[in-house]
Amino acid sequence: MRNMVSDAPRTTLTAFYWAFILYLLLPLTLMMAMSFKDANFVAFPIGDWTLDWYAKVMQDKQFLEACLYSIMIAAASTLAATTLGTWIAMLIVADGIRGRTIIFALACLPAVVPGMISAISLRIFISTIDMPTGTAAIILGHTVHAVPFVVVMALTRLRSMPRNLVDAARDLGADGVVAFFRVTLPYLGPALFGGMIFCVLLSIDDFVRTFFLGGYRPTLPMLIFAKVQGGMSPEINAMATIVLVVTAAVGLYAEFITRRARTR
Amino acid sequence: MEPVVQFDNVNKSYGKHVAVDNLNLSIEAGKFVTLLGPSGCGKSTSLRMLGGFETPTSGRIMLSGKDVTRVPPNKRNVNIVFQDYALFPHMSIAKNIAFGLELKGFDNQRIHRRVSELLELVQLQDYAARLPAELSGGQRQRVALMRALAPDPDVLLLDEPLSALDAKLRQQMQIELKAIQEKTGKTFMFVTHDQEEALTMSDTIVVMNKGRIEQMGDPNTLYGRPGSVFVANFIGETNLLRSTVISSEGDVAALNWNGITITANPGGLAPRHGEHLYVVLRPEAIHCSAAEPVSGNRVKGKIRQRVFKGNHTSLMVEVGGGAMLNTLVHPSDVAQLGGEDIWLGWKPETTTVIPDRHAHN
Repeated sequence: MRNMVSDAPRTTLTAFYWAFILYLLLPLTLMMAMSFKDANFVAFPIGDWTLDWYAKVMQDKQFLEACLYSIMIAAASTLAATTLGTWIAMLIVADGIRGRTIIFALACLPAVVPGMISAISLRIFISTIDMPTGTAAIILGHTVHAVPFVVVMALTRLRSMPRNLVDAARDLGADGVVAFFRVTLPYLGPALFGGMIFCVLLSIDDFVRTFFLGGYRPTLPMLIFAKVQGGMSPEINAMATIVLVVTAAVGLYAEFITRRARTR
Repeated sequence: MEPVVQFDNVNKSYGKHVAVDNLNLSIEAGKFVTLLGPSGCGKSTSLRMLGGFETPTSGRIMLSGKDVTRVPPNKRNVNIVFQDYALFPHMSIAKNIAFGLELKGFDNQRIHRRVSELLELVQLQDYAARLPAELSGGQRQRVALMRALAPDPDVLLLDEPLSALDAKLRQQMQIELKAIQEKTGKTFMFVTHDQEEALTMSDTIVVMNKGRIEQMGDPNTLYGRPGSVFVANFIGETNLLRSTVISSEGDVAALNWNGITITANPGGLAPRHGEHLYVVLRPEAIHCSAAEPVSGNRVKGKIRQRVFKGNHTSLMVEVGGGAMLNTLVHPSDVAQLGGEDIWLGWKPETTTVIPDRHAHN
């Protein structure tokens, strides 16, 4: 009896945990299962199984183009956000910088501003400066959104960096630039790699900002959204499954790499 | 000969805090010079100023005849071995050592030759491709040393490099460091708070206290003839006998210590009657015996504490007036002393006299 009472919180927690896992996985599993259904309607029972939807998706020019476009935007915004974020992180840890708290707070702001607000303000901003909607505007929006994540990851790593490393490089004849590229940057490497993967995933995933800033060329989420409006079909499920599997694989791989580098 | 390093009236202060107070110091080429002192005495600041990582508030630093006071670290020919080694974690041992050579613009063949030569010097040839994390503390220490020596600096600066090692390894590294210094003929400027390290390796020890040089000399002189109470206390163990001058004539002064009359050589002090002096009496200069010594200073005492230290036994002996003398005897001699009541004797020439005014540190 005593045992049951003292075990109660633990048992409850375990039950909640499994409920959560179920809640997380069940919709995804359903979505994946439907992508293999040999019929036009997304509903049970599944009956016959097929890979036709995947074949169709892989031949869908629209889908492939949207994929390419999303990847291009992700690459560009990741590059910009990583450069900017690293620079801001370096600035925050530098000697004799005033107001580092304010710099840090400002750098983190885009991560906490609601996506919709951020999207509308960016839209107003680009029309104020007469910037057309489209690729450049989307990249700008995604970059702003991704910078805080790079800053936080780079800062964490920078703070664990032995102070003397840069001094040692300087002592051995490196000027500030050489010391940065040959010592600081490689030291930041694993953190930046993790940050970059995160930026890529954020960008590929983004819908709201892209919706407000985009032109006529659809990114992947926009394409899927457009297709859903035309009615659910297992083809959409197949598309979503491909995106899910690829992004999950990339995310897990990045986590694996950064973890291995961290334990070194 | 022109000194390699010269500090001319160098001051460094941080706000109101004075870290280095009018430092004047010349270092000769090929010497092993140690800056010794407690933390906050200005030794590390002096080293960092020579390395180029701190700029003096005033004064001038000369390196091989050139004014380097305001030259950035990458443009001056000195290298530092850092306390935590600061090896580049993502580079192999060979790459670490090659770093300074690459920046000097040496060609690959020359770099390769120099790196293998240095690795061989510390018997780490087989570790060239390893990462620093795969090495032991002592090995990392050697790599840090070789990396700093590789570009052939005018002076090698060592910032408490042995403090992270355990006692046994530290002793071994002391001997190795000294051997490398002698083999390479480099000028070493070593910073430590450990007097034993300083005594073991140095040609010259510079004792620093509160940003100033307290005393400078070879280890023998500093140990045998400390110039101040601070130095006497900081280097080795010591008994400080605060005494009053009874009379002084040339090399012999009669002193009153706790009601006991002792003699000492006042050196050049020529003290007057009634003046206070300190007599520095090292534990090993005291001879313990059961019978009263026939000559020299002698005092009767009672053993209050014995501590066996392996190669010697340390005795705390109470003499008249509650004063304690710290002395040591060979373990096999302890039995010959008989009981607890013993005689302590020492020759006047084994002591040094320090004026009292230096005591207020």
